[in-house]
Amino acid sequence: MNSDKLHYAFYRGCCFQGADIHWLEIVKEVMGLLDVELHVLEQGVCCGSGVIEERSELTSLAINARNMALAEKMGLPLFIPCATCYNVIANCRKVMAEDRESFRLVNEILKEEDLEYEGTGQLTYILWAIAVDVGLEKLAERVVTPLTGLRVAAYYGCHLRNPPDIQDYEPADHLTSLENILRVLGADVVDYGTKKECCGFHLTWPNREQSMKMTSNVLCGIHRQGVDLIVTACPLCYKSLDAGQPRALAATGHDFLVPVVFFSDLVGLACGMSRERAGLDWHVVPVNVRL
Amino acid sequence: MATPLNIERQKVEANIRVHRFNPEHDRAPYFDVFKVEVETGMTVLEVLQVIKETQDSTLTFRASCRSSICGSCAVRINEKPVLACSTQVIPTLVAFWKSSITVSPLKGLPNIRDLVVDIDPALEKLSRLHPYLMENKEWIPETLEHESLMSREELKTFDRNTDCILCACCFSTCSAVSVDPGYAGPFSLAKAYRFSADPRDSFKRPRMQAAQDYGLWSCAQCRKCITVCPKDTRPAVAIQRLRKISIDDGIHNTPGSRRAKAYMNDVAKFGQVNKPILPVVVNGPKGWAAVEAEEGYLRKHGLTHSLQAPRLPGQPHVARICQRVRELTQNMTKKRTALRPSNEESKPHRAEEEGIRDE
Repeated sequence: MNSDKLHYAFYRGCCFQGADIHWLEIVKEVMGLLDVELHVLEQGVCCGSGVIEERSELTSLAINARNMALAEKMGLPLFIPCATCYNVIANCRKVMAEDRESFRLVNEILKEEDLEYEGTGQLTYILWAIAVDVGLEKLAERVVTPLTGLRVAAYYGCHLRNPPDIQDYEPADHLTSLENILRVLGADVVDYGTKKECCGFHLTWPNREQSMKMTSNVLCGIHRQGVDLIVTACPLCYKSLDAGQPRALAATGHDFLVPVVFFSDLVGLACGMSRERAGLDWHVVPVNVRL
Repeated sequence: MATPLNIERQKVEANIRVHRFNPEHDRAPYFDVFKVEVETGMTVLEVLQVIKETQDSTLTFRASCRSSICGSCAVRINEKPVLACSTQVIPTLVAFWKSSITVSPLKGLPNIRDLVVDIDPALEKLSRLHPYLMENKEWIPETLEHESLMSREELKTFDRNTDCILCACCFSTCSAVSVDPGYAGPFSLAKAYRFSADPRDSFKRPRMQAAQDYGLWSCAQCRKCITVCPKDTRPAVAIQRLRKISIDDGIHNTPGSRRAKAYMNDVAKFGQVNKPILPVVVNGPKGWAAVEAEEGYLRKHGLTHSLQAPRLPGQPHVARICQRVRELTQNMTKKRTALRPSNEESKPHRAEEEGIRDE
């Protein structure tokens, strides 16, 4: 392995495979621009999105301890690109640390595959990998087309903030790494009132109507501030705010559209990627801003 | 790294912005700013008392125990619901990098005056969820010679939820409460879980029906309630468990329960969720519109749409994990039933036994 680079085990989640496979290449390329090499965790499986707990908590713990154990075996920190996956896996780490019985049971299950979860591996989220591990200084060096004059709203979503003890990169009450990244890219970060509200992604199928109300609520709060672009720290929030936007706004009687991007795509754009390479053609709400 | 202990006492002048509203003469709420000298260790409640005693005797707020037991002093500090008696001012100023804090009443409940809200609408919903035990005759011994015992493991499943003090901090922060007026709120559903998980109870079924009616599937699992709960009761986790009990108890015919079963089956079968067909599995034929929209979107980008997710390389291991968990859960239930004090006529623990049987 090249020692000038940062190396991570890359957990794909569901946003970086299947119909969204193009996103895997984008993330790899963006991270490559920052001297980060991602090694795909081929044996990794779906975290269950906090839903399989509604059938069996032990299954969720075993699956996610397995995901972490695979990275431990590779000797690399686990790099997670989706906030919900991060939340579920970090929650598993927390339960395994505080409940000895779960730790014992899970390892008994994993033994069959010759795996052991030790709890020694590191977890990181793509946001903190860029803001902290790579660092803002290095990011600033790599910016070739600054986003000067672009008014952006930074939206973290809920699963990086709640509960506060799933990460120790920054105070959960007062997350700033996304804003810091956006300022380094040259954008003007605009504050707004619905920053800590939920986009409703996880109700898309079980409770569509409510999910749309929640999406619309977040969008209206941002729209009031007259922003050019919404930047999310979570790919699922991106999906509900972009793909879910036209329907949600129509259902709640609003007539506007605001483009949305996942933050790492914007990092790529500022660091020299083309609009096509950064996947802007895939957006449902057209990204009609000068980038 | 632990921060070194600083025993030096600090004193700062802080600006305390307080939400004011008196319905008798104010047309709308406004903020008053009070300058207060704050010392290390002083709580928000103490500051409010100082203001009332020395600056404005009309300032109205609720408080009683001053020990985070009664839950009556819940307010929002810089938008975050907290107990005023257990929140210190100086660390809050430091956390927000400001020389002021903003104190406002809980959200989602009618504001009666200044910092006081009417909690009755939330409690009214709680009362609909049967928050009490109805004796389980098959569990409770007939004679007084035996106590109605439960094991530590059984208690552990809901012990945390017995610590709830009904302060309504979770209700105030909840994402679902703010868009769905009919939603019971996190603490009420967590109470429904607390009583339904208790082996001495026999009222699970009516309680599950009430939970469906009051928003069991409206919770978005944003987990903000876990963050704000001053007693670490983790309501969102209780709601996940309540959903499990409701499915185990036979309520299969809801979009939420169909989603839970689909996720569980798919992860075992493919190593991931079979997302292409999920809208139809969860919502029936009306889900086809979403599938077709996705198909059109992919076609636009030159991709063909498959209705089946590919099997991931790790899938066989997940299938094996699911099977092992099933075996372990059954063994644990058998062991537990055998350890029960009066076990001849008692019924096994239904939720536990059924467990993840239907996968």
